[in-house]
Amino acid sequence: MSAIPTLAIKSLRNRRTTAALTVLSIACAVVLLLGVERLRHESRESFTNTISGTDLIVGARSSPVHLLLYSVFHVGNATNNISWDSYRSIAQRPEVAWTIPLSLGDSHRGFRVLGTSPEFFEHFRFGDRRRLELTAGRVLQDTYDAVLGAEVAAKLGYRLGERIVVAHGSGEVSFSLHQDHPFTVTGILARTGTPVDRTVHITLAGMDAMHEQMPAGRSADPLAAALGKHGANGGALHRPPQGEAHPHEDGDVRAGHADDGEHGAITAFLVGLKSRPAVLSMQRYVNDYPNEPLTAILPGATLPQLWEIVGAAEKALFGVSVLVVVVGLTGMLIALLTSLSERRREMAVLRSVGARPAQVFGLIVGEAVVLTLAGIGLGFALLYAGLLLGQPWLEARMGLFIPIGWPSTHEWSLATLVAIAGTITGFIPGYRLYRHSLADGMTIRI
Amino acid sequence: MLDLQGVRFTWSSAREALIEIDVLRVAPGERLFLRGPSGSGKSTLLSLLAGVLTPGAGAIHLLGRNLAALSGAGRDRIRADHVGFIFQMFNLIPYLNVMENVMLPCAFSERRRTRAQRRGGNVAQEAHRLLAALDMAEAGLLQRPVTQLSVGQQQRVAAARALIGAPELVIADEPTSSLDADRRNAFVELLFRECRQAGSALVFVSHDASLAPLFDRTLEFTSLNKARSPSRQDAGPEPA
Ligand SMILES: Nc1ncnc2c1ncn2[C@@H]1O[C@H](COP(=O)(O)OP(=O)(O)OP(=O)(O)O)[C@@H](O)[C@H]1O
Ligand SMILES: [Mg+2]
Repeated sequence: MSAIPTLAIKSLRNRRTTAALTVLSIACAVVLLLGVERLRHESRESFTNTISGTDLIVGARSSPVHLLLYSVFHVGNATNNISWDSYRSIAQRPEVAWTIPLSLGDSHRGFRVLGTSPEFFEHFRFGDRRRLELTAGRVLQDTYDAVLGAEVAAKLGYRLGERIVVAHGSGEVSFSLHQDHPFTVTGILARTGTPVDRTVHITLAGMDAMHEQMPAGRSADPLAAALGKHGANGGALHRPPQGEAHPHEDGDVRAGHADDGEHGAITAFLVGLKSRPAVLSMQRYVNDYPNEPLTAILPGATLPQLWEIVGAAEKALFGVSVLVVVVGLTGMLIALLTSLSERRREMAVLRSVGARPAQVFGLIVGEAVVLTLAGIGLGFALLYAGLLLGQPWLEARMGLFIPIGWPSTHEWSLATLVAIAGTITGFIPGYRLYRHSLADGMTIRI
Repeated sequence: MLDLQGVRFTWSSAREALIEIDVLRVAPGERLFLRGPSGSGKSTLLSLLAGVLTPGAGAIHLLGRNLAALSGAGRDRIRADHVGFIFQMFNLIPYLNVMENVMLPCAFSERRRTRAQRRGGNVAQEAHRLLAALDMAEAGLLQRPVTQLSVGQQQRVAAARALIGAPELVIADEPTSSLDADRRNAFVELLFRECRQAGSALVFVSHDASLAPLFDRTLEFTSLNKARSPSRQDAGPEPA
């Protein structure tokens, strides 16, 4: 009967302040629940999309998750480096199709600087095996070339030809500037939604040349000194002294290709194999590498370990948002229950004009359904408003690019669960009124 | 039209029967006045007549059908189609306006809707006609929230609602007890007129004996109801 929904809406309109507050509280709960889930999902997605097509990541001996974090996500720092010789000897193995050396530890105005070779732009893949693309300029060629990630270029407003100075250490505040060796922006990459966007790419040779100029090596590193635990070795946190490496004459390197010849130690390197089945034996080979303690990881196998670590926090966050939904629905329950005693008269009137007890029940449950659905609708609206507003901020501050798409099936099912929970919540006052209307007849009492 | 036989009713929370009525008959269009003291079970009897409560024993025939033998849904259907109800107070749904309150029964009964349409052209016009007949059609009154009406006005709206779609039986449970003497008589006159127009029988309950002369027939509830005959009355007998 169409009378009941109409009555439910009119009754809610009559109590619009309470109804609006109830809807708002449910909406906030829904925003939190969906927002947390979307953030969780998108951050996983973006982590998973950060690297693809790489068979192994090799770094100094450390935990796999740690290696994955500092090499690919630029989170944290390596505790040790890999010598150039070890890198070369592994890279020259017959199973290896390509390698990309990674040398981290410096920064430019808060953005990480990655020393690498031109192979990076050729072999690095992200997302669905997408390759890096340039929006302007060219990839690394000369020693003092710098190729910027999209976010770096956008945030700092750099254009091609701009000269930039790299600082040692990774903080926003530079401790020592490599003033002598300004780099020139020669390329700008297209947006990837990965840490590449926030990275300044330079050549290994450029990095070496820059560090040769460092007075007194890294023991003067104020960051390491401040941390005070690595002592003279602290330099290894970032870049080792390059004194013993074969120095390049500036002119020398400019003339040739940036990755010819030898370099100082690197932080890690990515490996692509000729055939995938070789990956496990190759991993074993690296892990047992005799000259140096190394760790090789399969990115796809290490990501789940990372999720295990963050999983507990995610679960806690999810638990909190579920509790907030419970609180929101409890608010609705309280609002409905407190209105019950005054509504018993109304129910007697409805019974007197022929409403069945089931319809009395349906009226109350209907109100709960309307409130919950309105709350969910408003919640989605607020979520998208928040995403639109928060998207640039999340990308700039967290490096998390959240695409604004339609709700996922997971989100729909969460919303459906909230709707079901709201409906069931309505059963409580609905059932009480139902019982009253059966037991009281039409005698109206307080 | 209405026919009670050997009806007994006991509240589940009470030990003794509240109502024991051997015979009660109401003819079509009859105006019956039921007088009895407070707490004697008048409202409970009206709930039985309307089919909201079912008797523990006996039969209640309304328009030839035994309410006691019908399912809950069947009784609800009969009530929606054939019974109009006026309470002592708080008759109106607070979130509906005057017109919506009057038209409410037509949302629950197809039969009353078609009858209202036949009489008034459409439901709203019939509601308006009834309100006008009850002196309630003043401009501005109809769209006003019912919470702003005086008690007398509320009772007239309730009467219009009970009468819309011309139900065979109108039940009024002390509808005048919060009105002063002048308004009380005027209200009863209006109710009579409209019941006659609609051809409805009226069962009117009150403890106020002064209204009795206006009715076709008056019954003392205490003598009708064996369970509450004066000798067993606990609320103090009233002079008959
Ligand atoms: N829902 C109920 N549950 C249990 N007992 C009830 C219920 N409703 C009424 N009673 C009892 O039934 C008796 C009669 O109540 P009822 O309302 O029918 O009296 P009444 O004659 O209408 O009185 P009044 O003139 O004051 O309206 C009272 O003793 C009351 O306590
Ligand atoms: Mg009563």
